[in-house]
Amino acid sequence: MEKDGFEQLKHQVEEWVREAEKLVHQIPQTQLYAAIGVVLLTIFFFLLVRLFKRAKPNTIVLTGLSGSGKTVIFYQLRDGSSHQGTVTSMEPNEGTFVLHSEINKKGKIKPVHIVDVPGHSRLRPKLDEFFPQAAGIVFVVDALEFLPNCRAASEYLYDILTKAIVVRKKIPVLILCNKVDKVTAHTKEFIRKQLEKEIDKLRASRTAVSEADVANEYSLGVPGEVFAFSQCQNKVTVADASGLTGEISQLEQFVREHVKA
Amino acid sequence: MLEQLLIFTRGGLILWTCKELGNALKGSPIDTLIRSCLLEERSGAASYNYDAPGAAYTLKWTFHNDLGLVFVAVYQRILHLLYVDDLLAMVKREFSEIYDPKRTLYHDFDDVFQQLRKEAEARAEEMKKSKQVSQPISNNMGKKQGQVQKSGIQGGNKKKSSGESGNDGEDGENLKGRKIENGHTNGKNFAADRLPSMGNVNGKENVSSNNGAFDVNKLQKLRAKGSKKVDTVTNKSSKEEPKKKVTKKNRVWDDSPKESKLDFTDPVGENGDENMVVVAADEGESMMDKDEIVSSDSETEEEEDAGKDSKIETKKKGWFSSMFESIAGKANLEKADLEPALKALKDRLMTKNVAEEIAEKLCESVAASLEGKKLASFTRISSTVQAAMEEALVRILTPRRSIDILRDVHAAKEQRKPYVVVFVGVNGVGKSTNLAKVAYWLQQHDIKVMMAACDTFRSGAVEQLRTHARRLQSHVRSGGISLVKNCAFTVEFIEIPIFEKGYEKDPAIVAKEAIQEATRNGSDVVLVDTAGRMQDNEPLMRALSKLIYLNSPDLVLFVGEALVGNDAVDQLMKFNQKLADLSPSTNPRLIDGILLTKFDTIDDKVGAALSMVYVSGAPVMFVGCGQSYTDLKKLNVKSIVKTLLK
Repeated sequence: MEKDGFEQLKHQVEEWVREAEKLVHQIPQTQLYAAIGVVLLTIFFFLLVRLFKRAKPNTIVLTGLSGSGKTVIFYQLRDGSSHQGTVTSMEPNEGTFVLHSEINKKGKIKPVHIVDVPGHSRLRPKLDEFFPQAAGIVFVVDALEFLPNCRAASEYLYDILTKAIVVRKKIPVLILCNKVDKVTAHTKEFIRKQLEKEIDKLRASRTAVSEADVANEYSLGVPGEVFAFSQCQNKVTVADASGLTGEISQLEQFVREHVKA
Repeated sequence: MLEQLLIFTRGGLILWTCKELGNALKGSPIDTLIRSCLLEERSGAASYNYDAPGAAYTLKWTFHNDLGLVFVAVYQRILHLLYVDDLLAMVKREFSEIYDPKRTLYHDFDDVFQQLRKEAEARAEEMKKSKQVSQPISNNMGKKQGQVQKSGIQGGNKKKSSGESGNDGEDGENLKGRKIENGHTNGKNFAADRLPSMGNVNGKENVSSNNGAFDVNKLQKLRAKGSKKVDTVTNKSSKEEPKKKVTKKNRVWDDSPKESKLDFTDPVGENGDENMVVVAADEGESMMDKDEIVSSDSETEEEEDAGKDSKIETKKKGWFSSMFESIAGKANLEKADLEPALKALKDRLMTKNVAEEIAEKLCESVAASLEGKKLASFTRISSTVQAAMEEALVRILTPRRSIDILRDVHAAKEQRKPYVVVFVGVNGVGKSTNLAKVAYWLQQHDIKVMMAACDTFRSGAVEQLRTHARRLQSHVRSGGISLVKNCAFTVEFIEIPIFEKGYEKDPAIVAKEAIQEATRNGSDVVLVDTAGRMQDNEPLMRALSKLIYLNSPDLVLFVGEALVGNDAVDQLMKFNQKLADLSPSTNPRLIDGILLTKFDTIDDKVGAALSMVYVSGAPVMFVGCGQSYTDLKKLNVKSIVKTLLK
C-alpha cells in the first residue's frame, strides 16, 4: 500500500511536468527570451545596488561604557527628545533616519544609519558586527562620573582603537564627553589628557604580553613617545555634549562630516 | 503596595511608567536587575531581590519577545503581593495591542492600567475572602496563613491553564458553581485537618490549587464585563495564558479535550470517572506529540524513508507543513515548539560536562528569550535555538570586568603596594603548580614576584614551592641568557624569594608577614599558596576566610579542575558562600577569578568552564594546559562556545 501511494504520487508529478512542458511550448519564443532577459536584468540591477551600498558606509556607531548615555543620545538624534528616560540596554538600537535637527531643512537629505551598541561588557562582542559598515565611531564618556570609570573607559577605547578594521579603514573616532550640563562635570581637555595617560600605560602593559594573549592586532602611537591621540592613524577628536538637555550640535556636525547629506 | 511598573524596550528606552505610583525608587533596582540577572542568563528565574541601603525590593518581569518589550514590576519585599504575576500578564497583553515601534508616548495607557490594577487587586481580595470563608482566622495563625497563601498563588499559577481548558469545554456558570463548592468542601476538610495537626500536606495543596483555579475563572468574568470583548478575550487568554508560565505538565493538561480536574481526593464518583478518562486521553496525546517532535526535528531522515512508514499520510502532512512553515516563517514560537530542540541542546551540553543544573537554567533562559518570537523564514526551530544559545554562551563567558592582571600590577606598583594574589581551591587541583606557572609568566614581564608558602598543613608543601622557586630561577637564567646579556642587573632581579615559616603556623599570619616582607624588599606581586580544602570543611574554610579578611588581597583566584562535572557548582557556591558567611567583615571578599587547570586532559568536555563562570560570575583568567611552566593560556571564548555546541 505504501508503494502504491508512492507510485501514484510519482505519476501525478510526471503528469504535471508534462503539462508544464506543454504550456511552455505554447508561449512564443520571443516572449520567453524577453522574460529571461528581464529576470537577468533585475538580478544584475540588484547586485549593482548592493555593490553601490557597500561602497559608501553610512553607519555611525555609538559606543561607550554602560551608563554613559548612549541611548539618550540616540533618541536625541532621532526624535530630539530623551522621552521618559532609559535603562540599561540589552540589545542595540538601530535606525536609519534624517537627523531631527535637519527635518525642517529643504531639499533631499540622505538619512543616516545610527547604531547604539550596549555598553555592558558582556555585550561587547556585538560591536564587531557593526565596524565593517562604520563611517564613524562615537565613543561616549560620562564626564560627570569620569574618574571612577577612567580605567575601564580607556581600556574599552584602547580595544577599539587597536581593532584591525578601525586602523585599516581609518574610521574617525569622536570622543564625546556627555553630561556636561552638570556643574561638576569634567572638561573635555581634562578627559582627553586622562585618557591619553591611561592608554599610554595600557600600551606598556599590553604590548609586553606574550603571544598567548595578543588580542589586539595593531599597536598604538609612536613607540618611545608619550601617547597622544594625534599619533593615531585615524582621526580622533574630542567634543562636548549633553544628552538630557539636547545639546548635541558638535555630534551632529561630526555625523554630517562623515555621512554626507 | 506596588512601587513601580515599567515598560521598556530591550534597547533600553522606557516607554511607560506608572505616574500615580511615582514614588521614587531607592537606588537603581531596574539597572541592577538587567545587569545582574537578565544579562547573566538568569531570566528563567521567577523573581529578583534587590537590596540597597533603605530599600528591599522584589522585582518580577516578563518579556514580549516578538516586540522586544520588557515589563518589570517592583514592590517592597515584605509585602507578598499576590497579584503581580497576573497583573504583569494582563499589562503585557493589553500593551502589546497598542504598541507601535514608532510611538514613544503612551499616556492613554494610564487608564487601562488603572483598570487592570483594580481588577487584579479585586481578584486578590476575592482570594483572601474565599480563604476566610473556608477558614476562620484566629490571630495567632496569621503567619501560617500567609505561607499558605503564598503556596496558593503558586498553585494557582500552575493550575491556571487547567481552569481555562475547563472553561472551553464546559459551561462557565456551571463550572464556577462546582469550583466554589469544591473550594468550600476542601476548605472545610482543610480546616479540620489543620486543627489537630499540621500533618496533611496533600489537603493543603489541594485547597490552594482549587482557590487558584477558581480565581482565574472569576477574573475572566470580570474581564468580560469590563472590556466587552467576551469572545476575543476568552479565546486569547486561553491561548496566551498557558504560554507564559508552564511546567511541562501543563501543556498536556491544556491539550486535554475534557475538563481536567486535579482534585483526586474529591469524593464525588462522577468526577473520579472523568479523571480516569482524562488520564487515558493524555497518554494518547503525548504519543502524538512525540511523533510531531520527530517529524519537525529530522526532516532529512524522513525524506529518505518517507515511503516506508506505516502512517504515511500523517507523516507526509507533517513534512509538508514543516516545509511550509520553514519557508513562510512560523507565526509565533511557543514553548511547546521549543521544547524538543531545547531538550536536545541540554543533553548535548550535559555530554560536554556542563553541570545539569546549569544546563537546565540556561535552557530556561533561552526559552524565555525566544518564546513568542517570530521565526524568520528559511530557518528551523533547532537552528534558531542554537543561535540563541550561542549568543547566551558568548555573553556568559565574556568577562564582566577587565582581566588584565599586568595592568593591575602596574597600578599597584604606582601606589608602592605589592599586588597580592591568593590561590584557593580543593585538594589536589594544582594550586602550587599553577602558582609557579603564573610566577613564571609574571617574571617574563619583568615583574618581581614573591611566593608565600601558606600551606602550613600538608607535609612537603613548602618544599614543593621552594623547588619551584629554585627551578624558575635557573629556568630564566638558562633560557633568557640572550635577554640578560644587555644588562647585568637582570639576573639579580629575577630571583624568586620565597617566604616561609615552616609548618603548623597560622597561615593568615604567615601571609601577613609575607606581604610586609614584600613591601620591604620591593616585590611587585605576592603569590599566596594556601592549603587545599574541601568546600564543606568548616574549620578550614573559616581559616581561609580569616586569611582573606586579614590580608585583603587584590585577587582571590579559585583554582578548579576542568575535569570536574556537577561538583563544580557545589565547590564554587560553597566557597563563595563560606567566604561570605564566615568573614568577620560586613563586606566580604568573594572569588574574583578562576584558574582552570588540567585543561589538556579533557578533550571536548569543556563544560566545567561554563559551569564555574555561570555559578560565580567570575571570569576565567588563566587556563592551565600542560606540565611545563609555559603551559598557561587565556580562555578562548569562541572556541569554547564552538566546542560546547558541537
